[in-house]
Amino acid sequence: MTGEPAFMAVSPPGGDACEHHWSMTDVRGGFLVVEGCYHCGARSSFFSTEPVPPRDEYREGEHVWEYLSGEQAVSFGLRCDLCGATPDLSAMTALEMSLCEDPDCEVGRLAARLDGQASVYVALCGDSTHESGHCVSDEGVAALEAYFNQGRRPGRRRIVVVPCRLRNHADWCPGVVISDAGLIDL
Amino acid sequence: MKLSEIVEKIGLEALGAWEDGDIPGVYVSDMASDIITGAPPGCLLLTLQTHKNLIAAANVVDAGMVVFAHGRAPAADVLELAQRVHIPLFRTPDDTWTCAGRLYELGMR
Repeated sequence: MTGEPAFMAVSPPGGDACEHHWSMTDVRGGFLVVEGCYHCGARSSFFSTEPVPPRDEYREGEHVWEYLSGEQAVSFGLRCDLCGATPDLSAMTALEMSLCEDPDCEVGRLAARLDGQASVYVALCGDSTHESGHCVSDEGVAALEAYFNQGRRPGRRRIVVVPCRLRNHADWCPGVVISDAGLIDL
Repeated sequence: MKLSEIVEKIGLEALGAWEDGDIPGVYVSDMASDIITGAPPGCLLLTLQTHKNLIAAANVVDAGMVVFAHGRAPAADVLELAQRVHIPLFRTPDDTWTCAGRLYELGMR
């Protein structure tokens, strides 16, 4: 491996005193609703626990949001079994396995640097433009990465998690979102 | 139980390259969202789901092998993705219930 991803260096929530052991908490089933603005091409997503995902078209500032998809998905939090720390994952709407190889995208460059020794997953927030300045928190990203690596078998590829703000563009940074797409094909 | 032992005793058809290893248990699910919240590392994942997101979920939980029930086989791009992350894929003509029963009879839990 040629260098550690920046987000692996983030101090875990609760400080360095605890060698966290994470468990999943607050697991909720629902729908990952994706909307697009047909004026500017921005994407917005949110997690809905309503029985039927909302399909409203509405204006918000300069955006006019239109429903694009609503796939069954899950939302969850993490909690340290040892110290009770709960990293902020409130902004995360989904997790995506990155397939990006674009040298102009930081996620693609990271995957190239890892050279097959790790799989890159992107923690997606709801605002592809990041106009709000918010994304999945660094402590949340670090905890996700630790959680998915803590039980892995020796010799297996590690999991590296990055926030979606590293992507060059939501449409040009390909990946596979972990949702229940394809269920109707069964 | 060894992966090779399971392949032999259940009569699984390999859908690509695989290496032997220990398989500590079984998880049955057709939902990626369920897999990431429940499948233990190293498990045999028994499923009907052949969508690419199955591989994304299986990889993040470090599944030891995936078995597609009812003779299902995923598309070429899904097979390629599984090979890329070294998740061995197999299929069985059995339905999920029958295959799960046979795995149980082998002592898998």
